[in-house]
Amino acid sequence: MTPALGKSLLRLFTVQGSYDYERMQGIGVGVAEEPLLRDLRAAANGGGGGAAYRAAVARSAHFFNAHPYLCGLAVGAAARAEHEGVPPAQVERLRAALCGPLGSLGDRLVWAGWLPLMSALALIGVALGGGWRAIIGFLALYNAGHVALRWWALRAGWAHGMGVAAALHQPVLQRAAALSGPAMALAVGAALPLAAQYLSGAFTGWSRGAVAVVAAGGFALLWWRRGKLTALRLGLALLAVAALAAGLWR
Amino acid sequence: MSLETLLLLLAWGTLVGLDLVSVPQVMIARPIVAGPVAGAILGDPWTGFALGVLFELFQYDVLPVGAARYPEYGPATVAAVSAAHAAGGGGGEALGIGLGALVGLVTGMMGGTSMHLVRRLNARATHAANERLEAGDARVLVRLHLAGILRDATRAALVTALGLGLGQLARALVVGALTVRGVTLLDVAAVSAGIAAGAAGTLRLVGRGPGLRWFAAGVVGGAAVAWLR
Repeated sequence: MTPALGKSLLRLFTVQGSYDYERMQGIGVGVAEEPLLRDLRAAANGGGGGAAYRAAVARSAHFFNAHPYLCGLAVGAAARAEHEGVPPAQVERLRAALCGPLGSLGDRLVWAGWLPLMSALALIGVALGGGWRAIIGFLALYNAGHVALRWWALRAGWAHGMGVAAALHQPVLQRAAALSGPAMALAVGAALPLAAQYLSGAFTGWSRGAVAVVAAGGFALLWWRRGKLTALRLGLALLAVAALAAGLWR
Repeated sequence: MSLETLLLLLAWGTLVGLDLVSVPQVMIARPIVAGPVAGAILGDPWTGFALGVLFELFQYDVLPVGAARYPEYGPATVAAVSAAHAAGGGGGEALGIGLGALVGLVTGMMGGTSMHLVRRLNARATHAANERLEAGDARVLVRLHLAGILRDATRAALVTALGLGLGQLARALVVGALTVRGVTLLDVAAVSAGIAAGAAGTLRLVGRGPGLRWFAAGVVGGAAVAWLR
């Protein structure tokens, strides 16, 4: 790993630190790409000015929005393209073209795959009495995949430059995306009854039955009103009703 | 609760809040991690695990895609554990779960709103520096980014502090006023909502495609293990 790639990787862990609704991750991506552009400053100083470096830095901080773990692919590819003297408009087009695929792949692979899978395994572990081992296992396993993905993305982008689309079609990535869905579904399915048993273990008699009835009703409401009713609102509403009932039923 | 414990909880809540979006997204922000650590700080891991599991189920309702707005359950879980511990006395009973959930859900809502405000402040700061950014000034770029991280850390600390304060307030106002039956009702509401949230959230995540069969197989397997235990 070159020092510039190492710095860029470290900065990628902060890529959403200055997230806003206009440039989205743009500023963070610019900060992560900057170490890879420093060679341009040295090269341009020989020719005088550093204009190429400054123009590349300005471009790197424009609008960008993708999955945070895969931003490195765009960072590496754009930096490589800047080194190869690709016209600015083409670099901008590359960045814009990567937003959608990187967002969609990352959401499928991580937010709807790896993360819920690991979280469900942690829930199962805690529910079965694994305690701290389940939590440490979750953090270690999840982050092994997380860091590997960030590192792979940056390296692939830097290696492929404008031809980075080829990296996205790697069989390993496609297979991982295809496998993570069923694995996640199986794990979260198994975690639900175990977590429910873990949480309702302290209840006895009428309260155990009430949990089953209210949970079934709450699920039906959330499913029927999906997109409108959130779990947070349901939770607050149920707690408000419970507080009211507690006041009346003394 | 000693000042030292309070400061430790505040520091943990700040780290957890910072992890969710800004730095470094290693998932200490997940309730299943944030809760037990908060419980350990309080010397009451049971409450930490219980609320960690509960809020992890609520977390399944959230898919952090794009610029979506969602509640922030990390610092909320820290505040919830603190409130539940104070209410239940840390004796391993479920008496504080309902109160903890109430405090946690309100804190989660405040956390979500505060993230939206920070993003707007970040946009304003970027606007102000637009000219120098377009000139390719790397120092301004880095400074802007660091200021964003600092803003998020401040936000996370404030949300955690508000949550911890809310917990103390709720304990003072609610605990003495509730009968055992009332406390049980709150616990039932909290646990039911968590189970409903987990079931609906995971089913939405799985969708109606081939994953549904795997999900059903998981539910059957999980239920069998739960029944056999």
